[in-house]
Amino acid sequence: MHADAVISGRGLELGYPGRKVLRGVDLDVRSGEFWFLLGPNGTGKTTLVRAILGLLPPLRGRIDLHPERARRDRLGFVPQRCELNPALSTRVREFVSLGFVGTRVPAAQRAERLRWALLHSGLEGLERADYWSLSGGQRQRALVARALVRRPGVILLDEPIGGLDVASEEVLLRALSHLNREHGVTIVFVTHQLAIAARYGTHVALFHAGTVEAGPRETILQSAAVERVFGVPVDLRVEGAAAATAAVPQEAP
Amino acid sequence: MIDALQASWALFHTTYIAGGLIALLLAVIGVWVVARDQIFLGLAVSQASTLGIAVALWLGGLGTGALLDWLGTDEVAAGLAVLASVATALLTARAGGAGRESPEAITGWVYLVAASVAVLLVANSPHGLEEVHRLVFSTLLAASTQDLWVFGALAVVTLAAAARWRSELVLFAMDPEMAAAVGLRTRTWNAAIAIWLGLGVGLSIRVSGMLYTVGCLVLPALIAKNLCREVRPLLAVAPLLALAASLLGFAFAHVFDLPPAHTTVALLCGGLAFAWGLRRLVIR
Repeated sequence: MHADAVISGRGLELGYPGRKVLRGVDLDVRSGEFWFLLGPNGTGKTTLVRAILGLLPPLRGRIDLHPERARRDRLGFVPQRCELNPALSTRVREFVSLGFVGTRVPAAQRAERLRWALLHSGLEGLERADYWSLSGGQRQRALVARALVRRPGVILLDEPIGGLDVASEEVLLRALSHLNREHGVTIVFVTHQLAIAARYGTHVALFHAGTVEAGPRETILQSAAVERVFGVPVDLRVEGAAAATAAVPQEAP
Repeated sequence: MIDALQASWALFHTTYIAGGLIALLLAVIGVWVVARDQIFLGLAVSQASTLGIAVALWLGGLGTGALLDWLGTDEVAAGLAVLASVATALLTARAGGAGRESPEAITGWVYLVAASVAVLLVANSPHGLEEVHRLVFSTLLAASTQDLWVFGALAVVTLAAAARWRSELVLFAMDPEMAAAVGLRTRTWNAAIAIWLGLGVGLSIRVSGMLYTVGCLVLPALIAKNLCREVRPLLAVAPLLALAASLLGFAFAHVFDLPPAHTTVALLCGGLAFAWGLRRLVIR
């Protein structure tokens, strides 16, 4: 494991009984990086996240987490969806506070952490609101807030913007970008959307046919590589640092 | 009402205390059942423990001899009831997942097997069939002093565990994937809760019967769910409601000469209807 890596995978082979999903994966995620895991459905992005979380032991190889910056109680996880029983009432405050499970945060600090998490996920003032009265985008941000109360060194997000409208997506991504730039939180973000990876990512991992190409965004996110992975020609244009980035699928010749 | 309870205390105090402790114990476990939306599981686990008792009666009726006589004792019946309900709870806890049968299907199957086989086993035994009907009918008069100690200990341990691990329980009930991600050993938790559910229901069924057991398992948690705006308070509100309903039910039963278990369950059903109405009013 590199000295400055918070997550390090070497010679990883991942999968389920009777089905290998990924092989030969080498990956070093360093502190403060913003990673995007990109690839079509079923190529192993969620499998890698599950392995990092310790939910899926590698078939071969090893994953090392930084003993301080990525220790279990400083790992935040935002799942693809949260299948709550809709008949159960819960307030935003209670839902987000469940993120304290598995940490040893003193009771006196919890209120302050809760405020901080709600502020940085754009839910300030909604702590007493019914979770079920929130919009889809706000619920997704409540999941992010639940991860943030742990004051994570690393946040893993598994397709958190699926089903969100453009405005909600933008609010969530800006919040994450702020955490990454201002608070040095390392982010690993699973998505299909090339445009947001091109705009926000510092590093990219492309998943294709059981393998992973990983590295700095400028190196990995090339039109030819993306076309190979997604099977369609893509025009990648970065229009200035703060401006919108386009990832436009082109018509196949 | 308090006068009614005081007047009958000398004669029925064991019944009242046992009923109250069972209500407390099951109401806490019931929060888990209701939070996971597995109400039918409570019915299936109860029916399975009835099957366990029917097996004990059938074994006891096979003939005479030291072993067969022992197999027909109350202790063996209680043991088999607990075994059957724990097995059911564990079986349904392991069900589900890609390519596997759903927990609902397994629960339904267990319920129907237990309900049919329990009667078939004792159909030709005059006392056996009567006993199975008594269990389904529900009566609290069978409680003994030993039962008070058992249910007292179980209730104290259950309440203490619910207080100590309330956030873990709520997270696991609401979002098992997140619970696993933050380091909870979900398989161990699943197994521990299934065993506790089976133990609570299996022991209660012999003393209080199926109606009271299932009623105290699901109704207080359902009422609390409709009254509370958050999940964690359910672990305190549900047992308090169960205890209050059981004491009120026993008092009513004494005053109007009604079966106590049925009176308590009817009160809880009324309470649930009231809670539904109240919730609709609040939401409007």
